[in-house]
Amino acid sequence: MKTIIEPHKIKMVEPIKLTTREEREGLIETAKFNPFLLRAEDVIIDLLTDSGTSAMSSEAWAAMMRGDESYAGARSWYRFRDAVKDIFGFEQVIPTHQGRAAEHILFGVMVLPGHIVPNNTHFDTTRANIEFNGGEALDLPCAEAEDLDSDFPFKGNMDTAALEKVVAENGPEQIPLIMVTVTNNSGGGQPVSMANIREISRIARSAGIPFYIDACRFAENAHFIKRREPGYENTATIDIAREIFSYADGCTMSAKKDAFANIGGFLCTNDAELAHRERNILILTEGFPTYGGLAGRDLDAIAVGLREVLDEHYLDYRLLSTRYVVNHLLDAGIPVVAPAGGHAVYLDARRFLPHIEPLQYPGQSLAVELYIEAGIRGVEIGTVMFGLDPHTGEEHPARLELLRLAIPRRVYTQSHMDYVLEAIGLVWERRREVRGMRIAKAPKFLRHFTAEFERV
Amino acid sequence: MTNQAWAEPYKIKMVELIKMTSREDRLKAIREAGYNTFLLRSEDVYIDLLTDSGVGAMSDRQWSGIMMGDEAYAGSRNFYHLRDTVEEYYSYSYTVPCHQGRGAENILSQLLISDGDYVPGNMYFTTTRLHQELAGATFVDAIIDEAHDAESEHPFKGNFDFDKLDALVSEVGAEHIPYVCMATCVNMAGGQPISLENLKQLRAWCDKHDVMLVHDMTRVAENAHFIQRREEGYKDKTIREIVYEICALTDAATMSSKKDAMVNIGGFLAMNDAKFYEKACGLVVVYEGLHTYGGMAGRDMEALAIGITESVQDDHIHARVGQVQYLGRKLRDSGIPVVNPIGGHAVFLNASKMLPHIPQEHFPAQALAAALYVESGVRSMERGIVSAGRDKVTGENHKPKLELVRLTIPRRVYTQAHMDVTAGAVQEAMERRNEIKGLRFTYEPEVLRFFQARFEQID
Repeated sequence: MKTIIEPHKIKMVEPIKLTTREEREGLIETAKFNPFLLRAEDVIIDLLTDSGTSAMSSEAWAAMMRGDESYAGARSWYRFRDAVKDIFGFEQVIPTHQGRAAEHILFGVMVLPGHIVPNNTHFDTTRANIEFNGGEALDLPCAEAEDLDSDFPFKGNMDTAALEKVVAENGPEQIPLIMVTVTNNSGGGQPVSMANIREISRIARSAGIPFYIDACRFAENAHFIKRREPGYENTATIDIAREIFSYADGCTMSAKKDAFANIGGFLCTNDAELAHRERNILILTEGFPTYGGLAGRDLDAIAVGLREVLDEHYLDYRLLSTRYVVNHLLDAGIPVVAPAGGHAVYLDARRFLPHIEPLQYPGQSLAVELYIEAGIRGVEIGTVMFGLDPHTGEEHPARLELLRLAIPRRVYTQSHMDYVLEAIGLVWERRREVRGMRIAKAPKFLRHFTAEFERV
Repeated sequence: MTNQAWAEPYKIKMVELIKMTSREDRLKAIREAGYNTFLLRSEDVYIDLLTDSGVGAMSDRQWSGIMMGDEAYAGSRNFYHLRDTVEEYYSYSYTVPCHQGRGAENILSQLLISDGDYVPGNMYFTTTRLHQELAGATFVDAIIDEAHDAESEHPFKGNFDFDKLDALVSEVGAEHIPYVCMATCVNMAGGQPISLENLKQLRAWCDKHDVMLVHDMTRVAENAHFIQRREEGYKDKTIREIVYEICALTDAATMSSKKDAMVNIGGFLAMNDAKFYEKACGLVVVYEGLHTYGGMAGRDMEALAIGITESVQDDHIHARVGQVQYLGRKLRDSGIPVVNPIGGHAVFLNASKMLPHIPQEHFPAQALAAALYVESGVRSMERGIVSAGRDKVTGENHKPKLELVRLTIPRRVYTQAHMDVTAGAVQEAMERRNEIKGLRFTYEPEVLRFFQARFEQID
């Protein structure tokens, strides 16, 4: 059979409210042209993020009902810890209310002002947390990542030659840890190869620098390796995942992505002394070490989700359904990051709207137009998100100017995706009428969440 | 119906099974836990009175709210429901959700405190004080002296002592006091309320000195119950009206909704000042999550909004506090020394009186909590010298006058029979008290040591 079907059927639905184009024009203006400030009920297809927005299974809901809400030593904690250890393999597991809290704690204990943290590409909260601690978040994407049309299979790779150079020039004193994000979200949801992970690990270990994985979409990355990297065709995806983590010293995880959870995250390490210091911060900002700011039921839902996400039928469906959208866009000649990543479709706003200056935020303009056209909510990943240096206050065009349409797991059907494709096509036809934006008001850190815009 | 009757205004819709253990099992478990009840596995506990935080039973309405979660990352309808409910019931115009109370305290402390400031409050609370200290402030206790006397029958032991506040102003100047932290139903004093009369005076004092008044409101509804019962002029007011009146006298609030509002997770920071709100939105996104979810799942915001409306019902609070009073009176009548008057959320055993043979530096309350677990499988919490920690400058142990064990009653979870078992267990521990030995640290964490500390018995 060529047809890809979902390896699940629908057990519970949530009605969608439909709006008219006129209504949406008013609504986006009220939201100051920032999709983050729209009310969710005014959105028809919500592709703002795949984080925390997935559909849990009946098994996960059943596990929620078993949640042990005891403050200390709950059964839910032990089930969660065992599920994490089984896949990730690290000695120390620290639950947090979500991924950014894990990052906050990790960088809080490891990063000092003047430190450099290399990554293939840092994501927004990761970068902000490093900068908040006075460090520099350094992106070292591979050369192929620059070419949005290249069909290189592992465009999420890190440029390991550049990494070696940075390590040689700065040494372990200035580099508290090296990270790699799987899949590489800011770079188009592109996977990192096992060979690349192995090489980063070798460089890190020979320099004595801890190597951490930002593991949000580890299962999607592991499955890309199975489908694309020679030698892994016959390895179970769960074993590929285990191998990935065997090369690292720790990880941060947002369970809101590849664990289908609506809330939750964790931090892992093999260093008991470090974990001890991390738990001291955890208790202050998150919660006691056996719940970390999560309800017992959420620990249980994550334990179930981690097992489900490594189902290979699910992962085939997941990767192919994202590719379905990307291939249709390519066929229509619409500029999009290729090949398809795992969790999202990335429109290339720079080529979609070449008449708009980078500092007039073409990605933001495209997000606004897509909402007006069809009630679809996406997120700019470009100069609004990454263009401002919070230390100097200077603004520069970001390396890539993208509109990300993130696909929540198991939530939308093919008909929803066909509707999205039609809407993008309609904006593409009238693209020359689209105007740029300027920022009316914005905070210093993570400005994209709450910035207010005006049309130029 | 008499004032003493407190039948639950609900029936049971879902149960959770509990495991019975033997004394030998428990002896082994407490040794493995380093004589710290925090380190026990919940499945080894029979009746869990460690805390009332996050362990309440939600109603069927709250569970339906859980199913109505809108998990959109931005602009979830549950957020708007929560925000509107906070304004309607608690008066505050702006709400910033946080994953729990300490998340709100973190943001509040970072935004309002400058290095070298002083924050007066009606007794310290563990995490609250640490957030204040980390932001550069010194906590100053301004509660009335009666609060430190376990025997005193003062009806409002949570009240402020204005001589202490005035002394602080003349010593450091009002400009070094960013806000006064006012807790309703003061936890460390034994769940003791503040009166509205005292709160009104505090409002006037804050206005006079141009100091903000921040409300630690986690048990505001229980405080309202005591005002209704004890303060002149309030017996015909509803709990809901009194709660609103309390909140409306303050400028901002931190809330751990895991207590009064009967949810398993969640909290918020609320305020009336638009500029303060804007700054809080900028910081919440770094630590907690976007300002329309703040690290809470949509479903949990919905359950919280519903829980707030249930928490201010007179029948609910009457039964809630009634159950705590029932246990407290039963213990007191059998000659167990407890903190008087009995508070709203917990019964506090006076460990220094129960175990006079153990000096405070051998942690009598910690030892009593461990012994109570061994005796009966009841899990309680130390609230004495271990919880008080060390002075941030001298490194010496704080030596609180109150050396207590807290039996905290989760909301709507346990029955009268469970309370009877608990009372029996305390009586048995009292009879065998001479066998209880003091403890010493084998591991002492630098901050909030009570959570993870380990001990051994002193022979």
